[in-house]
Amino acid sequence: MKKRFLIPALLFLPLLSACGTQKDDDALVLRVCNWEEYIDLGDWDEEETIDLESGDILGENPLYEDFEEWYFETYGQKVRVEYSCFGTNEELYNMLTLGDKFDLVCPSEYMIMKLMSEEQLLPYSAGFRDEEIPENYYVRNVSPFIREKFDGHEIGGHSWSEYAAGYMWGVTGLLYDPEVVDKETVSSWNALLDPSLCRRVTVKDNVRDAYFPAVAAVKAEKLTDPAFTSADDYSERLEEEMNDCSEETVAAALDFLQSAKDNAYSFETDSGKADMVSGKVLANLQWSGDAVYAMDQAEEDELYLAYSVPEECTNLWFDGWVMLKDGIAEEPGKQQAAEAFVNFLSRPDNAVRNMYYIGYTSVISGGTDGDAIYEYLDWTYGTEEEEGVDYNLSWFFDGEGEESGDYVLFTDEEQLDRQLFAQYPTPEVMERSSIMRYFDTEANARINRMWINVRCFNINRLPVAVRAGALVLCIAVLGGLVFLKLKKRA
Amino acid sequence: MRFSRKHLALPYALFLLLLVVLPLVVIVVYAFSDSSGQPTAENFIRFFTDPNTLGTLFYSLVLALITTLVCLLIAYPVAYSLAFSRIKRRSVLLLLFILPMWINFTLRLTALKELLTLLEGNLAYHPFLNSVIGMSYDFLPFMILPIYNQLERLDRSFMEAASDLGASGFQVFLKVTLPLSIPGVVSGIAMVFLPAMTNYVVLDMLYNSTYIMGSLIGSYFAAYDWHGGSMISLVLLALICLFTLLSGNSEEKPEGGRRL
Repeated sequence: MKKRFLIPALLFLPLLSACGTQKDDDALVLRVCNWEEYIDLGDWDEEETIDLESGDILGENPLYEDFEEWYFETYGQKVRVEYSCFGTNEELYNMLTLGDKFDLVCPSEYMIMKLMSEEQLLPYSAGFRDEEIPENYYVRNVSPFIREKFDGHEIGGHSWSEYAAGYMWGVTGLLYDPEVVDKETVSSWNALLDPSLCRRVTVKDNVRDAYFPAVAAVKAEKLTDPAFTSADDYSERLEEEMNDCSEETVAAALDFLQSAKDNAYSFETDSGKADMVSGKVLANLQWSGDAVYAMDQAEEDELYLAYSVPEECTNLWFDGWVMLKDGIAEEPGKQQAAEAFVNFLSRPDNAVRNMYYIGYTSVISGGTDGDAIYEYLDWTYGTEEEEGVDYNLSWFFDGEGEESGDYVLFTDEEQLDRQLFAQYPTPEVMERSSIMRYFDTEANARINRMWINVRCFNINRLPVAVRAGALVLCIAVLGGLVFLKLKKRA
Repeated sequence: MRFSRKHLALPYALFLLLLVVLPLVVIVVYAFSDSSGQPTAENFIRFFTDPNTLGTLFYSLVLALITTLVCLLIAYPVAYSLAFSRIKRRSVLLLLFILPMWINFTLRLTALKELLTLLEGNLAYHPFLNSVIGMSYDFLPFMILPIYNQLERLDRSFMEAASDLGASGFQVFLKVTLPLSIPGVVSGIAMVFLPAMTNYVVLDMLYNSTYIMGSLIGSYFAAYDWHGGSMISLVLLALICLFTLLSGNSEEKPEGGRRL
């Protein structure tokens, strides 16, 4: 896992694409828009080769260029990928609204839900789901856990899997320094208010990432009640609770976040990782993928950070590939190319390349087309030491839970709190994970207003006497000035 | 049509109309309408009943007030000693105080941030104090200059006359110099107080997550709430107008002698 310097690559991009246009005039153009730094751009050093049993893996060229080659070899047609990036889901949505045309984009689950409900998406073809076709890597290799989630969620009578193919996934939690911070403290979202972390904890500076832990903390008692957690329909009820945007819940979340603001070091979008590594902050509300990256970075300075997923609940999120009706319709053959692109990225060795390069966890578990993903995990986290522990990954890899013994990784005990845990949390953690849906217009407006108010100075937090004093003072000053003015005139 | 001197003002009039008056009209229209375009006073009522917007106004006022006071307390003695010093190269000294203004202020703040981190360890512990320090650091030259200019052009014979008539040095300052320098002080206050209510970059850079008026307007617009944001802008505009009106007159009398 490693993020590279993108700038040199970016500098050459226009040059490359310019050459491309001249070379393949007859090629089909596939316009792909993805998150920044969210695909393997190749150019690895020789010593970075991942030597797995199923073969060596080394990224030489950007994955989308490898795709062009593969597509020509497999389908005998030329395709050129026009690759561009977006920074946030909302930015992508604005680009689409303002008329940018793309064929294949990779938004998060809630934006997929919004695009689905607006009927902007094209469903995947029946052929895409046919396991017999050799090129259909996605359908054969996607993790049963992810498949179940995608089948189980519907928008307007259509399941996600009809319109979206997963790419990366993760959870939210707290990255912390175990030397200073007690694990007990960060096992609840109330850690954001904990006096021992006063001004040493950061919160994400966007409404959805902050609202979720606030709701979890506000409802902590209910969410951790054994009667609630052992209910048969626990998952459904949890999802309802976590997507609650009634006025009372929003008001309670506002109160929580205003206190969190006074306890936090800052609201951050990207600086949290660096502040953790430099030791400025002790805990950090963080996505699992970025947590892995921060832990890797800190390790280089011999600082060993850990990751905790609070007891109440965690936000399970996905990014997935969806095809846009408008774009695909422009040229025949685009749908085949778009689906092939998803399949190519889902080939286990390519998924490993992405995981190594980006640090996030792929939805692909492999199996039918080789165990490259699992071997890669073993290569990264496995240990030969005697004091290792077993870590069961069956829930993700074959969906059979404890019984199957095929996917039990022998690893260092510390990994149970670190990178391996962040990338593949335990089944108990996944039990208490919930997705966060897209909110309707009214709820969205309410939550956005709440988010603005979080950072306001709430005058009700001042004692009444101070408020009254301030009012009197204001009136006195204004009155005095007016009086002076009038006196001067006279 | 014959060309007259009035026509020279046409470009500016056009500028004023397009870039000042027109946007102002848009703001007013937005402030008093809802998302479906219907006229409403809801935004107005909301501003003055929501503890969060009122609190932000209060917070900005207090921050600006303290910043202005700090600036005044530092700037006046500096301007006074500069204006009345016998040093030959006074302008060089003045330059030293003005020089920081030549450097971009975010750059200066970055330097200040490092300094404060060194002193305090963790900037987030004292968000309000840091904001006051940052703002004062930023706006100090704007306070020094007008006061210095005012003191500099004072007719020295007023002070001499007061001394001749038996006033002590302190009395001369209190009864003559200070009242005569008030116009400079007022314009200094106007130049510090008003920007201090809205300059949220200082707060952002010094880890104060609380909004002031400037950032509040920005956040409303970022959430596509043009109507609420326009109302806040309008309230701020009204406040600025009020201050300008109340302080305006004194600047017109640079001589100021008559009032004595």
